[in-house]
Amino acid sequence: MKRRLGKFVLALIGPIAMIVILSMPIGLLYGGLGGVIQPIGGVFDVGRGVSMPYGQSMKIPGLDSDVEVVFDRWGIPHIYAESVHDAFLVLGYLHARERLFQMVLQDYFAAGRLGEVVGREAVSSDKFYRTIGLARAARATYQWYLDNAEHNTDVAYALELVDAEVAGVNAFIDSMTSETTPVEFKLLGFTPEHWTPVDIFLWAKMMSWSLSGSIYDLYRQWVRQTIGNDTMYNELFPDLLPYTVPIIPEQTDLSLEEFPNAPGGFPATSVPPRKTGVVAAQTPTIDLTKLRLSIDVFEREAGAFGYGELLGSNNWVVDGVKSATGHPILANDPHLPLQAPSLWYEAHIVVPGVLDVMGVTFPGLPGVVLGHTAKTAWGFTNVGADVLDIFVEELNPSNPNQYMYNGAYRDFEIVDETIHVKGGGHIPYEVKWSVHGPCIDSVVNTYDLDQDIDPNLAMNWTGLGVTHELMSLAMLNKAGNLQEYFEAVYWWDSPPQNIVFADDAGNIAMTVAGRFPVRTGYTGEYPVTALNDSVGMTSSIPYAFNPRSVNPSQHYLQSANQRPTDPSTYRYDILGPFDDGYRGRRIDYLLSRKPSVTVDDMKSFQADALDVSAQELVPYVISAWNNAGDGNTTVQAAVNWLSGWDYVMETNSPAPTLWRYLLSAMQHETFDELRSISTGLLLSRTPVLEKLIKENVGHYFDDHTTSGTVETRDEILVRALHRALDNMASELGMDSSTWNYGNHHSIYIDHLARLTYIGGGPHRGDQYTLNAAGGWRVTYGPSWRMVADMGNVAQSYGVYPGGQSGNPFSSHWSDLFDLWYAYKKEIGQYGYHTMYFYVSSDRFRDADDARTMIAGSTTFTP
Amino acid sequence: MGILKEGVKDVGFVPALMIVIVLAIALQLTGVWVTMLAAGAFGGLFTRRHLRAFLAGFLGVGAAWSIIFLYLIATTPAIAIAGFFIGLLGLGENLGVIVVVIAIIIGALLGGFGGIMGRAVLELVESRGVKEAQAGRTEEARSQSQLKP
Repeated sequence: MKRRLGKFVLALIGPIAMIVILSMPIGLLYGGLGGVIQPIGGVFDVGRGVSMPYGQSMKIPGLDSDVEVVFDRWGIPHIYAESVHDAFLVLGYLHARERLFQMVLQDYFAAGRLGEVVGREAVSSDKFYRTIGLARAARATYQWYLDNAEHNTDVAYALELVDAEVAGVNAFIDSMTSETTPVEFKLLGFTPEHWTPVDIFLWAKMMSWSLSGSIYDLYRQWVRQTIGNDTMYNELFPDLLPYTVPIIPEQTDLSLEEFPNAPGGFPATSVPPRKTGVVAAQTPTIDLTKLRLSIDVFEREAGAFGYGELLGSNNWVVDGVKSATGHPILANDPHLPLQAPSLWYEAHIVVPGVLDVMGVTFPGLPGVVLGHTAKTAWGFTNVGADVLDIFVEELNPSNPNQYMYNGAYRDFEIVDETIHVKGGGHIPYEVKWSVHGPCIDSVVNTYDLDQDIDPNLAMNWTGLGVTHELMSLAMLNKAGNLQEYFEAVYWWDSPPQNIVFADDAGNIAMTVAGRFPVRTGYTGEYPVTALNDSVGMTSSIPYAFNPRSVNPSQHYLQSANQRPTDPSTYRYDILGPFDDGYRGRRIDYLLSRKPSVTVDDMKSFQADALDVSAQELVPYVISAWNNAGDGNTTVQAAVNWLSGWDYVMETNSPAPTLWRYLLSAMQHETFDELRSISTGLLLSRTPVLEKLIKENVGHYFDDHTTSGTVETRDEILVRALHRALDNMASELGMDSSTWNYGNHHSIYIDHLARLTYIGGGPHRGDQYTLNAAGGWRVTYGPSWRMVADMGNVAQSYGVYPGGQSGNPFSSHWSDLFDLWYAYKKEIGQYGYHTMYFYVSSDRFRDADDARTMIAGSTTFTP
Repeated sequence: MGILKEGVKDVGFVPALMIVIVLAIALQLTGVWVTMLAAGAFGGLFTRRHLRAFLAGFLGVGAAWSIIFLYLIATTPAIAIAGFFIGLLGLGENLGVIVVVIAIIIGALLGGFGGIMGRAVLELVESRGVKEAQAGRTEEARSQSQLKP
């Protein structure tokens, strides 16, 4: 008996060892190898759930009636429903079916719960997002909708869409099988929770943060304190950049009686306050190391999802006078992070008599963000305005949990933000909130500092309270004319966006939409100490007076993230920093000189890769070489490249590569005043350099590190040529035949979990071209291109770099990227797909004579 | 226990193998890989040697997974998925077939160890049964001796 018992125990060793080995996390495989590698239930059967079951019916609980969805050849759903509830429930289901991993990852990321999915490596990110409090703001916003739905039909309508989207997402989660479970969840061993309305508001907050959350106050303060010379600081780092063509050519105010409040219904000040200079007493000195640490934390954590200089967008519109069709034509390409799966999911939603809208949606959000209806079209670009201020709270010396406000010390609200990590760990974490907002330095390790170890930098951001962007979108999706556009955009309070518009009545408009604070007692440029409520964001610009242009006499409107208004004519302060303005200058040039613009012209403009900064500055470099060159044959050969260059950042030439190196070298050689102070300083903005070169400002061209000689502009530019070529030789190799731009400038669209990527090929353009492609490894750019012709809106065009499916094994994983990336040089255009726009499924089928438009259809039943 | 003690017979290696294949396919459809131990263990009950029990489980589950993989390869991009998977480990994406082979070997090992476990369980139960029978016979003999006048 004992022997057999011993044998039995020995026999258990193998199975137990197998269970242990196959269950233990290995790298990315948090769920262990066993659950992944088995044929059914592992990764291998995800290929079976890759396509919608065309020609079949699918039951979805919660539907009131049948919903027919026609999927076109790109996998884009055309949803034909009898009610908006049913339409958005199906949209939610499709969002989840194609993009659930993306939605969950984004949601947990924004909530500061990423550690629950991927483990301890996400703790620093989680601390950051817990600190800025997006989830708290999302809960407050959702509560506002609940509180106001009863009295306001627009709120009730938006909430109905939110609830329907949530129901659809949960219907998919409940129906998930091994075949339809995203492969990423299998690898991570993660089971998604049910979706809630707060998750929807949270993702809206996250997008808002990505587009308007910034800590320029700290950055300006750090630069200013580091330089220690206000004259130089104001010359080299102006808020008002030279040569900018403002977005608004002619201001159009609306009626203050009709719109007395600021966007979102916030209190407004109809009389602009007197412009405020910097009040030195209210600009506290912050320890430079603490400033730098805070900036570093923001750059590291917020940069992961969009915060950065590479964000941008283009939109423009021509009216019927300037278009070849006699009707407005509108174009939009938002430059957002390029990721796989894409930020966008395209859809067409039809509810007879209520809704007929097509364009791109954010997976998880109920509404078309950019697109067109049967009568209108619209597009967004980011404003880039500074709507976030840092308040330095004066702490109680005997109690760091109190701060001075309105003559008395009051307690910080201390919020428990304990972070949970995968596997069961808990990390205690607290965030202090003052009346101004959360103390962002809660997340900064200040143990190396002698002072200010207690958090006291409170963030006041217009996006952190209750905001109404989802309601605005819901209304915009239904807007049929200019007045309804005005009414919809009234609710767009965050993030500030330049919303271009066109309708079939021939109107064009641009609204610099969003809530812009009116600041009292400070400028908003630097951190400020506000000991009472007389200092702060005390009001906002009334919506009626938001920067806006309607049917301007120039017959076109454009925006590319540049300064929206001319400060000499617009009555309110809108604080930047705004874009360098080269894209704006380019599109303004193209539109102003083209008398009759066609849809093809619009596509060519979106593909335009001419760098205006090169066009403006290269002639000075060539002239400098001719005047002060030293005869070096290598430099002469490089100058020859520049002399024959058309300033287009094409992939098959070394000139664009040289230009990128040369621009950096020009900044390096010119701004010795800055780099001799700190190597961490940004060497000014390119338009400032352009101004110095064009106006030949000798002071900055003299190299102050040399004694006894005064360098001229031409000598500095020649030195820059040498430096650029030296850097190219050391970084790219001595063989200049390999210096073609396309060998070094390429596009990579990484999977969200870095499992794979799309692209990898050479890419045209740079940071300053309309076809935006900053950096050497391009990770930002036109995340959606659309051209809508209001003369025939059914023949509008769109494309985004990715595909409808989030499943890497689907034929719709990257098919739209292939279209987006395919540049046809002979016509100067990238590829687009026609945005099929049929009012019913029958009409769609009738139009598909050649059987090339429709891939299949599915009927969803209650 | 009664079934194990009395109803499990040595059906021969090939029938035991077939039992494991069928059971492994059925259990694998649940998507729970640990059940391959049970499939192997069940096959092990029908053999009388540990080596045969292991082989029945090993080959049975291996064959079952091979069949399922062949089906998946024929109907889905399973090899591409395997290539993607091995690519994550830093190896060439064209080596996907190796992932499938490794998966089958892992499944087979689960079945094999399950077979040994099943055989060991059976032996344990049988030995308890023998012991109980011996104890029963002793008790019976004692009773009979007490009944004698």
